[in-house]
Amino acid sequence: MCRANIVMPVLPQMGFSVLTDSTTQDAARHKGVGASTRRHEDDRYLRGRGRFVGDIRRAGMLDMAFVRSPLAHASIRSITKPDANSLRSVEGVYVAADLTGVTGIVANSALPGFQASVQPILADSKVRHVGEPIVACLAQTRAAAEDLAEAVQVDLDEIAAVVEMTTALDPEMPLLHDHWVQNAFLETRTDINFENAIAGAAAVVKKSYRTARQCMAPIEGRGCVAEWDRHLEQLTIHSATQMPHIVRSGLAECLGLDHAQVRIIAPDVGGGFGYKGILLAEEVCAGFLAMKLDRPIRWLEDRREHLTGGANCREHTYEITGYAAADGEILAVDCDALVDSGAYSSYPFSACLEAAQVTSILPGPYRMRGFRCKATAVATNKPPILPFRGVARTGVCFAMELVMDALAGELGMSPEAIRERNLVPATDMPFTNITNKFFDSGDYPQALSKTVEAIDVAAVRARQKLATGRKRIGLGFAIFCEQGAHGTSVYHGWGIPMVPGFEQATARLTPDGWLEVRVGVHSHGQGLETTLAQIANEELGVDPEKVRVVHGDTAYTPYSTGTWGSRCAVMAGGAVGTASAEVGDRVRAIAAHLLQARAEDIVLADGAAYAGTAKVSLEEVARTWYRQPQLLPASVDPHGLEATVGYRTTPDTGTFSYACHAVVVEVDMDLGQVDLLDYVIVEDAGVMINPMIVDGQVLGGVVQGIGTALFEEMPFDGSGQPLASTLADYHLPVAADIPPIRIIHMETPSPLSRYGQKGIGESGAIGPPAAIANAVNDALRDIGAEVTEVPMTPERVLKVIARAEAKSREAVS
Amino acid sequence: MKCQLRVNGEDHTIDVEPRTTLLDALRDNLKLTGTHVGCEHGICGACTVLADGEPVRSCLMLAAQADAGPEITTIEGLSTAPGELSIIQDAFCEAHGLQCGYCTPGMIITASALLERNATPNRDDIVDAISANLCRCTGYGQIVEAIELAAEKLRQRNASPSEASQ
Repeated sequence: MCRANIVMPVLPQMGFSVLTDSTTQDAARHKGVGASTRRHEDDRYLRGRGRFVGDIRRAGMLDMAFVRSPLAHASIRSITKPDANSLRSVEGVYVAADLTGVTGIVANSALPGFQASVQPILADSKVRHVGEPIVACLAQTRAAAEDLAEAVQVDLDEIAAVVEMTTALDPEMPLLHDHWVQNAFLETRTDINFENAIAGAAAVVKKSYRTARQCMAPIEGRGCVAEWDRHLEQLTIHSATQMPHIVRSGLAECLGLDHAQVRIIAPDVGGGFGYKGILLAEEVCAGFLAMKLDRPIRWLEDRREHLTGGANCREHTYEITGYAAADGEILAVDCDALVDSGAYSSYPFSACLEAAQVTSILPGPYRMRGFRCKATAVATNKPPILPFRGVARTGVCFAMELVMDALAGELGMSPEAIRERNLVPATDMPFTNITNKFFDSGDYPQALSKTVEAIDVAAVRARQKLATGRKRIGLGFAIFCEQGAHGTSVYHGWGIPMVPGFEQATARLTPDGWLEVRVGVHSHGQGLETTLAQIANEELGVDPEKVRVVHGDTAYTPYSTGTWGSRCAVMAGGAVGTASAEVGDRVRAIAAHLLQARAEDIVLADGAAYAGTAKVSLEEVARTWYRQPQLLPASVDPHGLEATVGYRTTPDTGTFSYACHAVVVEVDMDLGQVDLLDYVIVEDAGVMINPMIVDGQVLGGVVQGIGTALFEEMPFDGSGQPLASTLADYHLPVAADIPPIRIIHMETPSPLSRYGQKGIGESGAIGPPAAIANAVNDALRDIGAEVTEVPMTPERVLKVIARAEAKSREAVS
Repeated sequence: MKCQLRVNGEDHTIDVEPRTTLLDALRDNLKLTGTHVGCEHGICGACTVLADGEPVRSCLMLAAQADAGPEITTIEGLSTAPGELSIIQDAFCEAHGLQCGYCTPGMIITASALLERNATPNRDDIVDAISANLCRCTGYGQIVEAIELAAEKLRQRNASPSEASQ
């Protein structure tokens, strides 16, 4: 990897045995927005001192294991609990009927036509996907709990499974939920000037595309430790979650507790990607049993549970038609999309988020005259859908960008020319697109032209001409924009039951002059303990080393919908900035008094308040407020050095980061192998708070996107059995799969956010399937082969090659 | 059954079920929770420890197999002094070779085994060494950079040990 256009200042770090020798005074001074500082959270991780859920033990704790459904669709005939005397360490076996007063998980979409589901905590009469929990087993060790689960007998009557979303809506298919009229949570439609727009189209391409069902596969699985506090009458659950406050709300609802009786602590969390953005039936069950038994209960998901019961994202189909004028102008796009939403509507995002998104985000970064789209959230006997990094955008970008290349092919244009013709130009920014998306800022054509230059299109084309044997070279592009940190108006429109409002943060100068920052979002790899400290530095001049970022505990932090939707840098960053600025005003007032200056003349920098050259340190200011108030005038602001503020952007339509990906591939026509030879990303995250961390987010996302493109798939057989139950079957990208990746940054400030920053966390995972598929199709164009499905496994690539070659043999004969 | 384990230079006698993995023994009996549980079937590498200097999957090894056997080194055994980072750990921080930190102990153990046997690894050597360790956050590029940086710093230290000790 190499980085372009960015300066990487290197800062000294106290307490480390190794100091870098490239420290410069400038770099040391600049610790705020824009500095690639080392991360505060790294030290504990590097020493193996992180605290993950699996590291937590409690006296008297019981481990919980589940008997899970071995069938995709069945009625439960009977459950036989084992003879407790025959097993060691047995503490209890619980079925649905034992969960007195517990209600199932409900997440209703507000969109008209939504069909509701209730996800039982333990399946009662019916199971609806392989891996669904039926029986909870408690024992003194996890191994003993699993032994106990093995001994439970569950007798099931199998029902025909609804496995394939393309046939799930057929009237003869069994219904997943008895009261439904068809196997769909929701159908959404939009039609904007479609019929008028297609008149006179010079090129029309009609395509079918498909993306496979995936597992998100954070290396740490889910898990929780639940305990009941008799003194506080409070249920405390340590949970590997991205959104502790939302889990708290959901648990309170399911268990019939007051919010104040539930405390959720998300400790260190080993990756999320959306997989941990949910209320779990297992958490509800652990919470109930901890209260019932007055003993701590722990559940830790194992990899088999994850793979078989947690394959829950990305499965879409698109029947899509693109219409273009002779000069390449996109006239309209027409699309019928299906999203496999699985068996239940998950809390809090509902089963409909992705399908509802498709109808509004499909046009991507392009202008067009007409747009028509239908998207259906189909119910199947598979695990309930969760939004994986990029959410619907990865599939949508795949469909749209492949149609762009297909139209270019029809019109004899280059991929870059047709994109340039249709991208929203910088002069039109801010721009409201056909589906009413408000693009806040940016220069999309420049991102494209920088990509074309960096990948060196002319050189690739020359190289391609030389590769005429069984190994072909191809070049592919994908360009997209990502709405991030969008708020109330957008999510209300998508109908999800959890609509985000103001994001709150608390900033508190402590008596020793340190700053404590409390946020309701959670950091599990994003580096928020560092970037939020940088933001506090920007406002208060406080040394980021003296900022403690507190997150992950509902008892300590203000309410938040949590970490998702590329929202933390903008929303939590904005909230921390605003709260710090408020504290800054109060610091100035006190410092002004101490320095006998005017508050408006006070400058906060380098850990002190300055009036000209006179200064008073933040420590002295804090000490004065907390311990020597006799030094302050009677008129001092009584709110002190602590502020909790709510923040949102105005408008709350979200920041739009964008990126152009280009990839060069070599396709081995005999093996079906796709090798990535070069990969360039030009991306614009607005003003970067910490460029090093932005690089990490982009690179990590891209590699997940490469997984989507080439490797990752959870296949199901005709009865709904998941067929990849180990990581040997479910291939995640490894280091050897990844080419050198070059990132080029543009930094167009967002006019909406406090520092001009844009949400970028999910961006990397959006582009790779489209870019790589376009590159493979470019490589195979002269033989007439075309991939339309990801992952592009050797088997799939060989199949399209064989089909094309058979066709050409037929034509010859 | 009783097992004698030698871990990070200390001897421990533990009483475990015969089926107990080395991973569970390290975490549950010795409270060395820096070694992480990833897949429990030998693919992801999160549980990698050193057995006589060689990286092994502690989820695939029984505690009994380490009884009176190899010297085990975990992530907790790599720090040079309390509160300090080794050169490799520091290089991971410097190059942003970690995000959520969950695969990190296994990566660092793997990297240290590589750098122990090869002081001048090229990029392919590094990629080869870590390709049996999964990371879902970083995309690997910055991990490779971190190991390159660590190799360089170790070479510098070995060239002038007196300066490095300062």
